[in-house]
Amino acid sequence: MSTDEPAQPAPPAPQTAPAKPRGVRSWASRIFSARTLEASLLPIAFVLLIAAFGHARPDTFFQWSNFTTIFGLNAVQLVLAMSLLVPLTNGDLDLSVAEISGLTSVLVAWLNVNHHWALGPSILAGLGCGLACGTLNGWIIVHFDVNPFIITLATGSIFSGIAFWLPNQLTVAGISTKLTDWTVIHHFLSIPVDFWYGVAIMLLMWYLLTFTAFGQRALFVGQSRQVARLSGFRVGSIRFSAFVLAGLIASISGIINDGVLGSATPGSGNLLLSVYAAVFLGMTTIQPGRFNAIGTGVAVFFLAVGVNGMNLLGAQTYVQSLFYGAILVVAVVASRLINRRRAASAARAAT
Amino acid sequence: MVPALEAKNLAKSFGAFRALGGVDVTIGAGEVVALLGENGSGKSTLVKILSGYHEPEPGGELRLNGVGVPLPVPLNRAREVGLAFVYQDLGLAGDLQVVENLFVGHRATRGLGSAAPINWHAERKRARQIFEHYGVDLDPSAQVGRLRPTSQALLAIVRAAEELREYRQQNEERGGVLILDEPTVFLPEHEKVFLFDLVRRVTDVGPGVLFVSHDMSAVREIAHRAAVLRDGEKVGDVVVEDVSDADLIELVSGHRLDRAAIERATGQGSDTDVGVSGDVVLAAKDLRGGRVRGMTFAVHAGEILGIAGLLGSGGDDLPYVLFGDVAGSSGEVTVGDWSGDVSGLTPSKSIKLGVSLVPADRQQQGVVPDLQVSLNMLSLSLRSFMRGGFLRLDKLLATANERAVTYDVRPPDASLNLAALSGGNQQKVVLARWLERSPTVMLLHEPTQGVDVATRQQIYELMRTRAAEGAAILWVTTDFDELATMAHRILLCAGGRIAGAMGPPYSRDRITSEVYSTTARGAGEATVAA
Repeated sequence: MSTDEPAQPAPPAPQTAPAKPRGVRSWASRIFSARTLEASLLPIAFVLLIAAFGHARPDTFFQWSNFTTIFGLNAVQLVLAMSLLVPLTNGDLDLSVAEISGLTSVLVAWLNVNHHWALGPSILAGLGCGLACGTLNGWIIVHFDVNPFIITLATGSIFSGIAFWLPNQLTVAGISTKLTDWTVIHHFLSIPVDFWYGVAIMLLMWYLLTFTAFGQRALFVGQSRQVARLSGFRVGSIRFSAFVLAGLIASISGIINDGVLGSATPGSGNLLLSVYAAVFLGMTTIQPGRFNAIGTGVAVFFLAVGVNGMNLLGAQTYVQSLFYGAILVVAVVASRLINRRRAASAARAAT
Repeated sequence: MVPALEAKNLAKSFGAFRALGGVDVTIGAGEVVALLGENGSGKSTLVKILSGYHEPEPGGELRLNGVGVPLPVPLNRAREVGLAFVYQDLGLAGDLQVVENLFVGHRATRGLGSAAPINWHAERKRARQIFEHYGVDLDPSAQVGRLRPTSQALLAIVRAAEELREYRQQNEERGGVLILDEPTVFLPEHEKVFLFDLVRRVTDVGPGVLFVSHDMSAVREIAHRAAVLRDGEKVGDVVVEDVSDADLIELVSGHRLDRAAIERATGQGSDTDVGVSGDVVLAAKDLRGGRVRGMTFAVHAGEILGIAGLLGSGGDDLPYVLFGDVAGSSGEVTVGDWSGDVSGLTPSKSIKLGVSLVPADRQQQGVVPDLQVSLNMLSLSLRSFMRGGFLRLDKLLATANERAVTYDVRPPDASLNLAALSGGNQQKVVLARWLERSPTVMLLHEPTQGVDVATRQQIYELMRTRAAEGAAILWVTTDFDELATMAHRILLCAGGRIAGAMGPPYSRDRITSEVYSTTARGAGEATVAA
């Protein structure tokens, strides 16, 4: 044996320092905490953005009609962004939602115009199409346990192909004006009704994610499939239903798009990047660090106002690409930094 | 002759806990030294000091091939000082080919070297020569994941031996130590001979081997000397030929054997030896799945049944098999009024039947650190917080705060993220989650792992109370002190089977010696049978 001299006296009895219960935080410290500041960054940026454009173009930007246009035209983005929330909370990427939306647009228009279906059945068929697309995604991904990223990239291409094929690559114009009436013509509180559809779906998603067991289970699935499974959650069916729901909501955005444009053009939408930018940007506000419906709603209109203001300043359309891309990078990096800072402060608290 | 490895006075403490108390180890050239000791004896700490993972306390010294090595051992440079490790998980990439795994060490190049062409034909040829040299039958083009576990272990050892050969080429054909950390636990008994042959070939040319194992028959087969650790101290350094199995077990367990009693206890497995009463709440008949290879037993209401076994004995898979979480399981299971094949169980069904599972791997399987304490604690009871279609998060939080006080979770603020809690407090949250369901069966796997002493006592108290309320508790752990404290009855587990039962009085020493004896006896039988 070693001739280790006992340099230290016998170690004291193992101690467990009782953790100090946290004092009640004052209201002031709550309001000015890093967390609140973090959560208000996007709204602050939003206000600054509006102020800046208002200053630059007071005559055109600061018109109520300009705002109703922004609200009315971006309901499609708002609804489509909502479709992503549940899969993303589950930890699954769905890259096919924009194509599901596009396919539904074309299908509804094609049935209504080329096949003289009434508007009601056409819309029902469109919703059915969204459900079917989502079901296909969910079934392949869950049943064969394959990577959703690559599968939805592939199915998205399929959906897009069908959208071109149905109307023989042509724009389908002349959709029943009733649809347009009930999206952008009729107003409620001076704002086109399609905006309110989007708000309704946003509130529904907020409810679903925050106030139901379904939403809370999705959080577990997204954070740790193993924990969720051993907690008795049916991980497969939770993920499956998320894809189905995503398909359904995406198809609603496609139908709204028909109403807004009065026609459907295959492959016209370049929506995917803007809705991903919105969802990740939304993650930095309201409930920072989580995919959340209200934050996403705020982010959709932040992006929309940004694009609108740049158009009024005379920017070319390619600026949109730059803007969406840059915002997505910033949003993803910001939400990562938020989470990392949280983890670090949690680790400090644990020791 | 310079020893291949000479370690002096290696010591390591974690807080007040002295994991290793100044240990000396010497390994001669071409010598196989077995490192023996039960869980928590300091074996892993010693290996982790050698690998550079732990920094030993000042005053330690390490010489390899006569050359002093700075402590802590520089991380990722073990190869350059003449150390090669094979861990139990082998560190192979299962989707890649044998040859790709074998030469992975050569790929750690920088700069333009990374763009140099690889001649796969020559590499495969070289691999074949290497395998021939070591007398190993492996196809360089085979996919590693499809090889038998034994072949995978051989590949991992050959790869480590090659690293040593390269080291020896640069050091006048001297030195080099191969460290094998529990390489045999998951291998079939009759295939271990291949591994022993390979180790002999490696040592024939000069390197020394440190063989960390629980496996007495393997130690006897290939080790020249055995160093035995107990509670962080070296309690024995013996020449294997000169001692009996019983001597070794006595050294490991620190328990003077009543040899006749051991013979009797390990004579024939039957769990009716010890008196038990109460209704059977959980029973299994010829249960199989994972490393469980045919277990039959019953747990009664109010009983804490301890499962004692070494790593790889099957005990560590048992809770998961019973919970319905291991694919391909079979055997008849009775849980309360339900009875049927275990393949009909899923975690959600088990939970409905009143079964709870506390997994050993808390971070991966037990909790979600990034969610609040309240959600982690009440994730199974979300429905009961629905009011008029809304999940009442305020009520959820209020209840969680109450429970946090009940179960002494500190800090008692359920709105915190779980990551803010210490390991012991996290475990209390896990237990609170399950106790909320008033389970009739609790499957516990290492329930106090990484938990401080005070919390440990609280957990014991919670489980005693739950048992007194009529729950059947299956307690699987390698902490034999804990089993001695908690179990009403103990089954010994080896080779995937129940190999015996123990009656009271229980002590860590007795459990350790019986477990080792049982395992050694089981290994002997299996070898004969093969």
